[in-house]
Amino acid sequence: MFKVRSDEPQYAKLWDTETKDTNRYGLNIETTPEGSDLRDKSLNINNDDGIGDNPNRYKQHGFFFNADNCIACHACEAACSEKNDVPSHISFRSVGFVEGGSYPAYQRMNISMACNHCDDPVCLKGCPTRAYTKFAEYGAVLQDPDICFGCGYCTWVCPYNAPQLDPVQGEVSKCNMCVDRLEVGLKPACVASCLGNALDFGVIENTPEGRTQTKVDIPGFPRTDITHPNIRFQQTRSMQREVTRTDSIPVKYHKNDEKEGRYLPVVDKKHGVKKHWNWGKIFHSHENAHVVFTLSAQAVMGVFLFFFISAFLASSPINAIANSNAYLPILCIIVGLIGYGLFKLNMHLGKPHRFYRGFNNLRHSPLSREIAGVSLFFGALAALTFFSFFSGSVINVIQFLLAFTAMIGLVLGSYYMYKLYRIPARPYWNHWQTGTTFYGTMLSLGGVLLGLLSLPFLSNTLALSKVLSAIVLAGLAIETIGLIAHRRYLTSGEGEAGAAHYEQTTTFGKVYLLRNILLGVNIVTAVTLFNIGIDGLYSSIFASLLVISTLTMAYLGRILFYVLVIPTTMPGAFFWKNKGFVEHARETGLADMPQMGVAYEHHHPFKVGELMQTIKENSLKDMVGHMKRILSGG
Amino acid sequence: MLFGRYKKNPIKIADKQVKDWKYATCGYCSTGCAIEIGVNEAGKPVASRGVGGADVNRGKLCVKGIFEHELFTSAGRGDQPKMRNEFHEDYQETTWDTALDRVHKEIRSIQEKHGPDSFAILSTGQLLTEEFYTLGKLTRGLIGTNTYDGNTTLCMASAVSGYKRSFGSDGPPGCYEDFEHTDLLIAWGSNLPEQHPIIYWRMKEAQEKRGFPLIVIDPRVTMYAQMADIHLPITPGTDIVLQNAMLNVIFAEGLEDKDYIEANTNGLDELKAEVANYDPITAAKICGIDEGTIRVVARLYAKAGAAMSIWTMGINQSTHGSDGVVGINNLSLCTGNIGKPGGTSLSITGQCNAMGTREWSSCSGLPGYRLLEVPENREEIGQFWNVDPEFFPKKRGLVHTDIYPAIETGQVKGLWLIATNPMSSMPNTERIRKTLEKLDFLVVQDSYADVETTQYAHMYLPAATWAEKEGCFTNTERRVNIVRKVTDAPGNSQSDLWIFNEVAKRFNAENGDAVNFPEKSADIFLEMGELSKGRLVNISGMNHDLIEKQRGIQWPYTKEQADAGEIPPQGGKRLYTESTTFSYPDKRAKLIPLPFINNNEVPDEEYPFWLNTGRLVEHFHGRTKTGKVANNNKYSPTPFMEINPDAAQALGIQHGEYVRVISRRSDAVVMAQCTDRVSKNAVFIPFHFHDCANRLTLGLLDPYSRQPAYKQQAIRLEPISDQKAAALLNKESRKF
Repeated sequence: MFKVRSDEPQYAKLWDTETKDTNRYGLNIETTPEGSDLRDKSLNINNDDGIGDNPNRYKQHGFFFNADNCIACHACEAACSEKNDVPSHISFRSVGFVEGGSYPAYQRMNISMACNHCDDPVCLKGCPTRAYTKFAEYGAVLQDPDICFGCGYCTWVCPYNAPQLDPVQGEVSKCNMCVDRLEVGLKPACVASCLGNALDFGVIENTPEGRTQTKVDIPGFPRTDITHPNIRFQQTRSMQREVTRTDSIPVKYHKNDEKEGRYLPVVDKKHGVKKHWNWGKIFHSHENAHVVFTLSAQAVMGVFLFFFISAFLASSPINAIANSNAYLPILCIIVGLIGYGLFKLNMHLGKPHRFYRGFNNLRHSPLSREIAGVSLFFGALAALTFFSFFSGSVINVIQFLLAFTAMIGLVLGSYYMYKLYRIPARPYWNHWQTGTTFYGTMLSLGGVLLGLLSLPFLSNTLALSKVLSAIVLAGLAIETIGLIAHRRYLTSGEGEAGAAHYEQTTTFGKVYLLRNILLGVNIVTAVTLFNIGIDGLYSSIFASLLVISTLTMAYLGRILFYVLVIPTTMPGAFFWKNKGFVEHARETGLADMPQMGVAYEHHHPFKVGELMQTIKENSLKDMVGHMKRILSGG
Repeated sequence: MLFGRYKKNPIKIADKQVKDWKYATCGYCSTGCAIEIGVNEAGKPVASRGVGGADVNRGKLCVKGIFEHELFTSAGRGDQPKMRNEFHEDYQETTWDTALDRVHKEIRSIQEKHGPDSFAILSTGQLLTEEFYTLGKLTRGLIGTNTYDGNTTLCMASAVSGYKRSFGSDGPPGCYEDFEHTDLLIAWGSNLPEQHPIIYWRMKEAQEKRGFPLIVIDPRVTMYAQMADIHLPITPGTDIVLQNAMLNVIFAEGLEDKDYIEANTNGLDELKAEVANYDPITAAKICGIDEGTIRVVARLYAKAGAAMSIWTMGINQSTHGSDGVVGINNLSLCTGNIGKPGGTSLSITGQCNAMGTREWSSCSGLPGYRLLEVPENREEIGQFWNVDPEFFPKKRGLVHTDIYPAIETGQVKGLWLIATNPMSSMPNTERIRKTLEKLDFLVVQDSYADVETTQYAHMYLPAATWAEKEGCFTNTERRVNIVRKVTDAPGNSQSDLWIFNEVAKRFNAENGDAVNFPEKSADIFLEMGELSKGRLVNISGMNHDLIEKQRGIQWPYTKEQADAGEIPPQGGKRLYTESTTFSYPDKRAKLIPLPFINNNEVPDEEYPFWLNTGRLVEHFHGRTKTGKVANNNKYSPTPFMEINPDAAQALGIQHGEYVRVISRRSDAVVMAQCTDRVSKNAVFIPFHFHDCANRLTLGLLDPYSRQPAYKQQAIRLEPISDQKAAALLNKESRKF
């Protein structure tokens, strides 16, 4: 157990004598009833089998932050990093600020935040590997880096930027509530170190001594309705009507009298209104792996979908392909293409050799389900391709069954691929346009891909090209409708959504414009091709242009989708937790200095040895047990 | 409730395997926090924590102390003495004997050629008190140069000088416990949350218990200013105008403590005559604080039961620094706020042992606040050390800031720099570079081999740092606290004490080892104790073990008290608690009139902005230490400037872009942080970064303390069109 010092100061000790029954959302503060299986178990901290004697062990705890008092001295961050040996480029707790007013009537309000150990932990639900557990003990949400495979999805879904993806280690880690200290009646290290008397900690909904409020919002703090975070605030000082953030995120906070005077995020056009290309940011984005994966998967799904549906439509010209010599090579190519996408995606993980853990959280994680669906699709498609080299009645049945299986994989995979981006903490994505763009791409890119792979090798292309042009046109139309609605949503939407649109029209304004022009050009081209068909040299050149233009448009659209998203994080400081400075330090090489606190993005090796070791160390029975728990949630 | 896994792995929480906690006093600022360093089985320092039962910090540490164990392994430490003949040659590693023989030979040869004072010794506020005392004995008793001072001239000289002028001696009269008794606190140019966060916390604790008004005087809207009940955004460099105006109101309304003034002070009439010139209406036009507010603050202050004034560099680093301190003392004396609980005039010091060097290093005189100018003091020390009193100079020689010009003009030919880096810390560092080039012999004694001064040195002596050695620090509230040895110094580096003693051996041999130099820190402390008897700074009741047991002891604590079994109190010890016990011969304090002459480099058309420099919580001084601790450095890893958004917009300067700052001395490149924290005609640049803020500073010297005014000068700004080139230039200046 954690050693309590003989001279441990009183301020470091937990203080809750009485507690409430339910929290403000109606949830029991007692995490698990008397007599529950979850009680009287050791937390096994570092294999210590002791059980703490904290009388409130099974009550939801949370941080209390008094924004009136924080002086941004960084002691909380430092104490946390010192205790948990956190590398300098990440931190479990961080301090940022908002500021407002004119000199000397200037105000700066600092915010110190770590994990809020939410009632509804979206990280736990989202994590495909089940690295997260909410403990009955203290209601702590803990993450196990040994399980994590470094996909970073938890960092996408968390509205508070609590999980920290370490680009060097390739794994996530986060605030552990100092449960070792709680077990012996001590407050977490950050709280005990606070020099402004701003941080406190206790059973949730309790008001610390000398404090008068337990609010759930303060200016600059992300919305709390997504996860019901276990953090409470005091903020009594009058604030300026508008407060800004010093980091590069184009968001400020404006007092909204219609919403009980709460401060809501609005766009802050802090970089001006000039339009830029910013190709560097686009080509060097770590998210290019996602672009390759989603585009290849959607295009291949499209091609497969056309074959599958055509099989039921005798008159479809696409059947001509299935009956031609081009069919097998096309199957091989699309299997290779989606295989490459999956490979890129997997190698983008922090721990690519732990890929198999992606299925662990089928019960809750849309990402897990996406991985399962796409894998099913890929596996069935690959098998179908294999069996397509053979013929015979049994083979036909197998082919039929595999095609159906692939179709199930396609439906599930594509749906959850869309669903996993519907993240409330990422308003730019959280719109049905994500669906139209994904399914639209399936049609447009699928159509283009199939045309590219078949038309040059077929003699009679007129009918087929018209059908494919119609499909591409449908895809483009769906995407266009989505984009128009999305634009309307962004410009009238919340701060982070509007801010993303501002970035879309300035920082990447020229790329955005180019994408939109290409979309228009492609629609016109597709309409033309639908009318004239592809037959002869001129229309073929015309079609080739459509291919290049559609691919370019798809790439630009998709990379914008990733680089533009602005999460609902808390404000950063001028250097620390400022995305703009991190990018600057990486671009200029300042990040070469280890004491800069900025690490570069890394690619991580596929450690075959580690994978083999896992296989060796786990018996078949273990593996079966593991699979059972995936399904049962045990 | 959704719990996730039922079958759980054991929870892993970092365990640093601490086997032993070793006691020390923090080596950064002068708050004097007691700290414990955790060492593992292999003896490696792996953790830091505040000492729970220590009165100063009560278990807390600031962001620097929390990572202090990382200092021992930080990059750039020296581990071998090195020398060369010319500074443009490469260094050659050498042995300690060869190196120190050469130090001895070079000092003597320079002194023989150019006179005894032509070799300068410049020390610091970073060493242990026993080391300061030994260096003082070596310098005053054996080497015999009067060109000897410490870098405390850059931070505390004005406080020292102001205390001496008002009370007859240095020695801050208050203590941290005063926060718990005060009815009103005025902070003059002090930003506790950033500079002294633990003292801030002590204040906050007291304020949350009792609630007292806080008045902060600062041109910048610091966090402290925001926490204040009244913030006075004063025009830079005009503090004494405000002080005089407050006294004007106090006298005009009869709010002074007549009995206290009558019993304890001289000079009331002269003071009254001078402050009569500063009615609030006149003063408001100069200091920028409206007359109504001046009256309110003066009344609040005078009427408070006990009123406390604290100050830091906002007062000290000014051409009116010493006067500003006297002004604060005038206010305290006129309202009877000295030596009583909650009523004091407390300078918040900078370096961990600025106090120790003031008390014991003999820089400005002789040990134990003795003065060279007093024949009895020379006699006393001469006898004690076995040195001919006639060997001592009859008055203090050049101070730190006058030594560099003396190098420039050729009176000083050799320099021994000990744990100080004038290439970052002096004003107008471009001039310092040229100055250092002129030296015939420069020895740099420092823990870091990459400290910039080694570029111009002929010899580098690698020194142990902080808890790689043993000895005491004295903090702001006169508390002597101990640093125990936690780990060995790297390679062949040695403690400063060992180096001084080895150098002393060589000089001592010239006249038959007449002077005794004890080797052990604990023995030296007892020798100092002996010398402190009967002095204000009486530490004769203390010894190393008792100090650790008590988690530090405030002086005075006398042999008599110790012998009588009187246990030193936890805290709350004050000076001048009895009537008429000041250090002037007649035991009265002086009220000193302070006429204001505006000699600041005030912004004009050509240089339209004030440049103010100052400190950040995550950094210490020249970043030699904190620049290498990533978990400190990352909060401000590269230089920046706070500039008002309106001013930035008018000049076309974008938030986050590099900007060129130009003064009449030189220029610097910084990143612009637009914030309304500063006024439209002022910018703030932290002084921590090498080749940055101090390229710009003028550093006019205070006439009494010779402390430079770092906080008031004029600059202009130019946007940089080639941001890439600026980024590269900035990167090249940031070796760490």
